[in-house]
Amino acid sequence: MMTTDGEKIIETENLTYSYGDTLAVDHISFSVEKGEILGFLGPNGAGKTTTVKMLTGQLVPQEGWGKVLGFDVAQEPKKIHEKIGVCFEEKNLYPRLTVKENLEFFVNLFGLEVDIDPLLKRVDLSKWVNDRVETLSKGLQQRVMFVRSMINDPDVLFLDEPTVGLDPISADAIRNIILTEKKKGKTVFLTTHNMMEADKLSDRVAFINEGKIVALDTPENLKLKLGKRTLKVKMRTEKGFEEETLPLRDPETPKRAKELLEKRNIATIHTQEATLEEVFMKLTGRKLEQ
Amino acid sequence: MKASCIKAITRKDAVAAMRNKLIVLGLFAGVIFAVMYYVLPSTVEETFTVALYDGSSSQLFPPVSELEMEGIHIIFFTSGEEFEKAVEEGDYVAGIALPENFDSQLLSGKQPTITLYFKSDVPESVRTSIEYFIQLTIEYVALGEQPIDIETEMLGEDMAGKHIPLREQSLPFFLVFALMMEMWTISTLIVEESAFGTMRAVLVTPASPSDVIISKGIVGIGYSLIVVVSILILTQSVRGNLPVLFLGIFLGAIMAVSMGLFLGSLTKDILGSYIYVAVPMLILILPGMFIFVPDISLSIVKVIPTYYLANAFGQILNSGAGLVGVWKDFLIIAGFDTVFFVLGVYALRRRFS
Ligand SMILES: Nc1ncnc2c1ncn2[C@@H]1O[C@H](COP(=O)(O)OP(=O)(O)OP(=O)(O)O)[C@@H](O)[C@H]1O
Ligand SMILES: [Mg+2]
Repeated sequence: MMTTDGEKIIETENLTYSYGDTLAVDHISFSVEKGEILGFLGPNGAGKTTTVKMLTGQLVPQEGWGKVLGFDVAQEPKKIHEKIGVCFEEKNLYPRLTVKENLEFFVNLFGLEVDIDPLLKRVDLSKWVNDRVETLSKGLQQRVMFVRSMINDPDVLFLDEPTVGLDPISADAIRNIILTEKKKGKTVFLTTHNMMEADKLSDRVAFINEGKIVALDTPENLKLKLGKRTLKVKMRTEKGFEEETLPLRDPETPKRAKELLEKRNIATIHTQEATLEEVFMKLTGRKLEQ
Repeated sequence: MKASCIKAITRKDAVAAMRNKLIVLGLFAGVIFAVMYYVLPSTVEETFTVALYDGSSSQLFPPVSELEMEGIHIIFFTSGEEFEKAVEEGDYVAGIALPENFDSQLLSGKQPTITLYFKSDVPESVRTSIEYFIQLTIEYVALGEQPIDIETEMLGEDMAGKHIPLREQSLPFFLVFALMMEMWTISTLIVEESAFGTMRAVLVTPASPSDVIISKGIVGIGYSLIVVVSILILTQSVRGNLPVLFLGIFLGAIMAVSMGLFLGSLTKDILGSYIYVAVPMLILILPGMFIFVPDISLSIVKVIPTYYLANAFGQILNSGAGLVGVWKDFLIIAGFDTVFFVLGVYALRRRFS
C-alpha cells in the first residue's frame, strides 16, 4: 500500500467532461504519488483517454479540477507541459520526417540538447533512425511514439496504451523502461485494457467504467477483496482426469478438500489467484477486452 | 511565445514542406513564369488603327486609300455618334475629326481645326507620330502651306505609362500569382498538423498555438520570397525602387499567409483543404489577369485586394514609381492584411485550443 504522506504528483477532484450528451468522465477523484505507477484500466469508451486529455491540458475540465505537479491543469497547462511526457493513443508523428527528425524536433521544442541514440537503443529502433516514419510498420511507429514521450526526461509520464500493437518482446522492453523510470522516481499514469500489464506494472489500479472509477487499490488488494481465490484439484479416474474447483474462503471447502484427499487419486492440487479481469467482471458485469 | 519553439517549428516546417512534392513544384513556378515572360512580346504593337470622322464628306481631304501608309490603318466614319462611341470604347489609338466646314474654310483661306482624340494610355511617341501623320496629310492637301490648327484631346483618366510591352505588363501578374500560391503552402502545412494529429503532440510541449502560427508565417514568407525573387532574377527585372518593391512583396506575402492561416483552419482534411484554397486563390489572382484585357471596366476588380498589389507592382516596375506613387495601394493592402491576419489567427487559435 502506498503511504499517505507521499508527495501528490497528480490530483483530481470531481473531474468531469462530456462530449455533448456523452458523459465521458463522471466526477472522478484520485491522486497519484511521486514514484507511483497508476494503472487506469477500463474497457473501450470508459473515459481513459478523456481523462488523460484533461490532465495534460488538451481538454479543459467542465467540472471539478485536476492538478499535475501542483499546477492546475486548466490554469497553468504550459507549466505542466515542461515537465511531462505524453504518449498518445493514436499515432501522431510527422510521416515525411525521419525517426531522427521527428525526435529531434521535439528535443528542440523543449530547448534541450539530448542524445537520442541511447533511447533508440533501448527500444531497438537504431536500425530505422534515418527512415521516414511513413515507411515504418505500426509497431515501429508505436516505439517512436514511446521514445518521443521520454525525450525531455519527464517527471510524469502519461502513457495512453503504450504497448498496443507491439510484439511481446517490444512490449516487454517498453514495460521494463516504464519500471526503470519508476525506480528513478518518475510518476506514471498508464492507461490500458490489458489486465496483465496493469497487474504487472501498477502500484495501484483504478478500474474505470462508464466514466466512473469503480475501484482503486493495489492489484493484490483488489484481487484479495473482490476476486475468488480457488483451490484446483485434479484427480485421476478410470476415464482419465477429473477436475474440481473449490472457492478458498468457503467454509465448506476444507471439508470437501479432505474428502477428496481421502477418497480420490489426486494428481495435482494448486491454489489459483483471481485475475483483475475477474474482479472487473464482478464489479461491472463487463469484460475488459472486447 | 518562445523563440526556441518558433525556431524549431520553422525548421521542421521548412523540411516537411520540401518533402511535399506539390509544394516543391510550387517553388518552380518562378521558372515557369519566367519562361512565359520570355514567350510574350517584348515590344508594343507597331500598327495603329485610327478612326477618321468626316461628317461633311470633304472633297479636299484625300481618300482613305491614298492616306494609308506603313503602320497606320484608317477606319472611316460618317456618323459622328458612331465615331465618338468607337473612340471612347478604345478600339482605336486615335480619332481624327474633321470640322463640318473643312472644305469651305480651306477654300476661303481660313484655318480649319482638326481635332485629334487620344486615349490617355497612348504613349507620347505614338501621339507624335500620329500628329506627324496628320501634318503630312495636310501638306498633301494644301501643298505645303497648311493653315490648319491641330487640337489634341485626351480621353479617359490619366494612365500614362500603361502602354507597355505585354511582357512587362505581365510581370505584376506573375508576382501576384506566385505570392498567392503561398496560401496553399501555408494552409497545407496547417491542415497537415491537424490531419496527422501532430498539433496535439506539439501543444503538450512548451510550444503554444502562437508559436505554431508564427512559424508557419515565417515559412510562408520565406517560400514567397524564394519564388518572387527567382521570377525577378530570371526575367532580369530587378529594377525600380527596390526597398519599395520589397515592401510590396512583403505586404503581399503577409496577405497570402493570413489567408492561408484562415483557410487552413476550415478543415482537417488534406484533400478538402485544396478546394477551400482553390476558390479564393483564383479570385485573388484575377486582378492580375486584367492586365491582359486592358480595356475592360476595372471598377469591379477593385474590390479584390490583390488589384492594389498588382497595380503597385506595375507602378514600381514599369513606371518607376516610388513610395509616393504607391502608398495608397500599400495602405489598402495593409488594411486587408490586418483584417485577414486577425481573422486567420482568431480562427486558428479557436481551432487549436
Ligand atoms: N471527440 C469526441 N467526440 C464525441 N465523443 C467522444 C469523443 N472522444 C471520445 N468520445 C466519447 O467519450 C467516451 C469516452 O471516450 P474515451 O476515448 O475517453 O474512452 P477510452 O477509455 O479511452 O476508450 P478506448 O479504450 O477505446 O481508448 C466514449 O463514449 C467516446 O465515444
Ligand atoms: Mg482511449
